[in-house]
Amino acid sequence: MPWPPKIFWVGLILYYGFVAICWIGEATAGWNHIPLAVELYAALLGTWIIPLIMSVIYFYFPEKAEEASG
Amino acid sequence: MADPIVVGITVLYFVAIIVIGWYSRVRMKSATDYYVAGRQIGSVVNGLALESTYLSPASMLGLPAYVFIIGYQFWWAMAAIIAGMPIATLLTAAAMRKYGPTSFADYYADRYNDQNLRWLVGIIVIFGAILYITLSIVGMGIFLLAILRFPYLYGVILGAVIVMIYVVFGGMVATSWNAAFQAVLMTIAAVIAAIGIINYFGGLGPYHMAILENNPKFFNTPSDIEPSHIYAATWLAVIGWFFVWHYGFATMPYTVVRFFTVMDMKTARRSIFWCTLFAGIFYLGLEIIGAGAKVIIEKAHPLVLQGTVPANAVKVLAYYAKTYGVGTVTDYSMVAAVEALQNPWVLGILCAGGLAIAMSTAAGWVMVVNVIVTRDWADMMLRSKFAKENPILMARIISVIFLAIGLVIAINPPALVLDLSGWAFVVIIASIGPSLVLGLWWKGATRTATWVTAVIMFVLHLYAWLYAKFTLGKPHFFFLNTALGLSKTAIVTPHQVWAIPLGFLLFIVISLVTKKPEPEVVEKYCVQLTEKL
Repeated sequence: MPWPPKIFWVGLILYYGFVAICWIGEATAGWNHIPLAVELYAALLGTWIIPLIMSVIYFYFPEKAEEASG
Repeated sequence: MADPIVVGITVLYFVAIIVIGWYSRVRMKSATDYYVAGRQIGSVVNGLALESTYLSPASMLGLPAYVFIIGYQFWWAMAAIIAGMPIATLLTAAAMRKYGPTSFADYYADRYNDQNLRWLVGIIVIFGAILYITLSIVGMGIFLLAILRFPYLYGVILGAVIVMIYVVFGGMVATSWNAAFQAVLMTIAAVIAAIGIINYFGGLGPYHMAILENNPKFFNTPSDIEPSHIYAATWLAVIGWFFVWHYGFATMPYTVVRFFTVMDMKTARRSIFWCTLFAGIFYLGLEIIGAGAKVIIEKAHPLVLQGTVPANAVKVLAYYAKTYGVGTVTDYSMVAAVEALQNPWVLGILCAGGLAIAMSTAAGWVMVVNVIVTRDWADMMLRSKFAKENPILMARIISVIFLAIGLVIAINPPALVLDLSGWAFVVIIASIGPSLVLGLWWKGATRTATWVTAVIMFVLHLYAWLYAKFTLGKPHFFFLNTALGLSKTAIVTPHQVWAIPLGFLLFIVISLVTKKPEPEVVEKYCVQLTEKL
């Protein structure tokens, strides 16, 4: 059975894990009421930095694997 | 009265796209150039083109409008849209480029060994295309109103004519290069406008506090005593918003076809990095604008300062609805926020960026429809001699017809631009998304499941959305609320997003109980395409 490469799941766990932690933090500790916290974790990290890290690992590791296999 | 600086920047924008389009036209020699840009587009250009094609006026106008309505919780829906981009890299993009078809419908016809799927997939895609062409023309109308200060009706007519000229003479080569330019422009526009708003308040800290002072519920979540809005009053609703557009980048035809235009699989993967980089910055800007819109409109909009309208953002927007005839005036909130800066340079760049995003989205969708109607239906299914001998001419005729349909609907749009977008997304992902994604990754995906899922989910979702919108009042209320004995607003499931997991479940169940596909077809269009991604 075809199966997406392991690195695909790493990216998913990274992003969904981050979102889940943020929501748990908001629901239990009220992170959303800390001034400028949402701008940091939802905007800067959630909307830009972490998706960007995912996009890098999704092209970097497949290319490394292609180079290794010639 | 139109501001000459705003008009001048817009004129410069049009000069730039005409020059780029002219160079593109000189290079265009065949139908393959017209449809898939000769498969010669590099990663940076394709990444930028992906950004400006995928992100439509639903992003530029609709997302800030929903942040304006719902509050901070909507930022997560925006974050999910950007995070959906890298997910597409390994889920569909790389495999689709390896396969290298011409039309979105090719994969369905080949993988499920059934040419008639071109009809079914085409009908569903065309439904989404009409909604997207409509919202693009609405966007053109709104930005032309901001530029020229004339009635919205004139704006949509002029906007449709501009897009017609643009698409009819360009094809995918023109849309690729112009779309890349448009991506840079709209990203710069959002960033400049966001910086302008933060500067107005004197920094990010004062900006945050001003929002809180204006609306103490703005940053609330469903766990707070008073949620920010009924649409985000439960975590189920927040999760629903998160997933409405999340998988669109991997499955929507106007992005999937852009993976066909690149040189190779490596370029397809890298193009998504560039897209995520620029789109992420663009969305950061939109989040800032959307969150600050209400407070800046109420403190600094010229209509408020002149005393024409009381210091109330809703009343400012109502003024635009009454004076200029804008049908879905909340879509104007983002432009009104930038007008409040009273800087014609910023407004001019924003409007040029807005026209850019509307034109590139309309062009991208028109190209998808062109290929389906001209190549898949007329040439391949009906064996039309005219379509075979005059593919570009026929594609141009089709472009004009669909733009005219979009124009008619855009004059009095049935919903906000973001609602039209959400409708298109969920209907397409729920009905033909499972057969695309699982067709690649599951040998057991069957032809019968493709037909049954597409037909049932298309009809069911259309009914559910329309029932929720016209009987319950909003497309975000679960269509069975009253049937379950609940209040109309009891369960919020944005754009009936439950349809997406249901579509996947239905597809799997039917695949398990129906005839397995031919082994050689599965080997070619499932196993080999997903090897070594």
